[in-house]
Amino acid sequence: MKKKFKVQSLKFKVLIIFLCLLFFTLIPLSPLLLKGDFGGLKAEAKVYIDISSPALKKLPIAIYEFNGISGKEISKTVRDDLEFTGLFIYIDKAAYVEGPLQPFNPKNWTPLGVEVVVKGTVKEGTEITLMVSLFDVFEGKEILKKEYKSGRELIRPLSHTVANDIYKALTGEEGIFRSRIAFVGEEKGRKDIYIMDWDGKRMLKIGLKENFILSPRWSRDGTKLIYSSERNRQWNIYLLDFLKRSEKKVFSSKGTNLGGDFLSGDTDFIFSSSKDGNADLYIMSIEGANMRKLTSSNSIEVSPSVSPDSKYIAFVSDRGGSPQIYLMRNDGSDVRRITFEGSYNTSPSWSPKGDRIAFTGRRGANQILVVNSDGTGLIQLTTQGNNEDPSFSPDGRYITFSSDRDGVRGIYIMRTNGESQKRITPRKLRAFSPRWSPN
Amino acid sequence: MKKIFVILFLLAFAIVLSACAPRRAVQLPPTTPQETKAPEVKPGKKVPEEKVVEEQIAKIETREVETPTYVEEKSVFEDIHFDFDKYDILPNAKPTLQSIADWLIKNKSVILLIEGHCDERGTNEYNLALGDRRAKATKDYLVALGIASGRIQIISYGEEKPLCTEKTEDCWQKNRRSHFVILKEKGK
Repeated sequence: MKKKFKVQSLKFKVLIIFLCLLFFTLIPLSPLLLKGDFGGLKAEAKVYIDISSPALKKLPIAIYEFNGISGKEISKTVRDDLEFTGLFIYIDKAAYVEGPLQPFNPKNWTPLGVEVVVKGTVKEGTEITLMVSLFDVFEGKEILKKEYKSGRELIRPLSHTVANDIYKALTGEEGIFRSRIAFVGEEKGRKDIYIMDWDGKRMLKIGLKENFILSPRWSRDGTKLIYSSERNRQWNIYLLDFLKRSEKKVFSSKGTNLGGDFLSGDTDFIFSSSKDGNADLYIMSIEGANMRKLTSSNSIEVSPSVSPDSKYIAFVSDRGGSPQIYLMRNDGSDVRRITFEGSYNTSPSWSPKGDRIAFTGRRGANQILVVNSDGTGLIQLTTQGNNEDPSFSPDGRYITFSSDRDGVRGIYIMRTNGESQKRITPRKLRAFSPRWSPN
Repeated sequence: MKKIFVILFLLAFAIVLSACAPRRAVQLPPTTPQETKAPEVKPGKKVPEEKVVEEQIAKIETREVETPTYVEEKSVFEDIHFDFDKYDILPNAKPTLQSIADWLIKNKSVILLIEGHCDERGTNEYNLALGDRRAKATKDYLVALGIASGRIQIISYGEEKPLCTEKTEDCWQKNRRSHFVILKEKGK
């Protein structure tokens, strides 16, 4: 009996020791166990930047200056693009210990707090060839390696493609760095439609040279614009086709006709016309057929903006006595007002994400405000000068608008929380009515 | 015997768990629907290539051709003005409108074009609608004075055709106007 007890006691002690060891291995694993993953028999996908997180921690990133003149421009553009997102802290190359051609060693980066490193090498000939690598310091490995080629004249789209790929690798989201902005510019009294890269580069005049042009609006596939222009004492709506390089008149009548927005599929568009006496909203096909009237009150209805799913239309009406923003279904039913502060709220523009509407509100001077599509969550984003014509980027994270804060009215961009407001058109160019491309 | 199996089982369990434990604690941010699966570059695997191309946006080649139907003559009539954000005909405009009506009755072959304008303080699109209203209110007043509505055309220029650009009350007041143009049909 005694013998048995002794053996039992020894085994008992061993059991205790094992339980203790077990305890100390389980503690760090408990969060994973609670997730039911059992410590990840496959590796957890790493989240570098959670862009939906409200308490965002910026990611410290190192970007080498790529070799050569082209390389310098490419890496600078990548840096500017990523910095504008507000999601990164750029660590300057003066602090880098590792040479650009030396192999990546995480030990060179951890003391600097850098988490991600971008390296690239350029070969210049008739074409530009660029090899880019993206390294994760914590994991100590290369997470992206890709070669890019382009003609020399496409160095900017090439740079932006690199920025898009890095952005996607780190956030999971598509970047908008190859998008463009259309706007109306005035030179020597004549107006034209301009297209530029979202950062203000490669500004190009379409060649219209008219006295009056307003409100260029992109088709959803980015190949066309509708706009309004006064010719021979009439305001007409025109369609500009980039692929055909042609202008076609799509609507003309007595009264003021203002191009509004395209609906899904780019076959129909919505516009305002005062042909029946006062400004109302109409839908028509892009061929100029099948016109339907959506509103018919004695008040002004103008500036329609179509929701991303095409089901709703935001517009301006003064049916309540002052110009305010309203929503309605795309058949004209279910009209409801969504702005209740201030006596002058106009120029609504729907975010491509469908959740928010930006508009111009008179708050002393004209200011850019954003409201949720249900009318809640009103925020004012600008305070200096007169700010008008807001338009969202394709990912809904940035807004372009016009501002006269520096004297002459020009085109500006900012993040949708109001941060990082900056001018992107030349100071001397009078510019307004910007619209961000859909892609 | 049973106890040995229990111990061996616990030992195996501990080994399996510790082998799967990450080398450092990963701090996961609040749950997000989007998680990046960063592809790990495998040695020997072909590097992805991209040829960057672009659909060129270039200058326009084909334009709409518009031909005017009327010949314009400057009118001798002065502009009439409006209050800020309003389109009501003001008392001081009425004498001018009466002279216009009288002149149109005497000169039956002409058409009157009324331009409606605004100062720069509103937004371009809404100002176009307000200018419309001002031109229409002016037209309605002349029709009430006996002019056939078919003889009066209206157009709005919103804030697009200012007479002055200073940011002063004086300039803004000048811009809030209806302006009169005489139209004669071509060939008459």
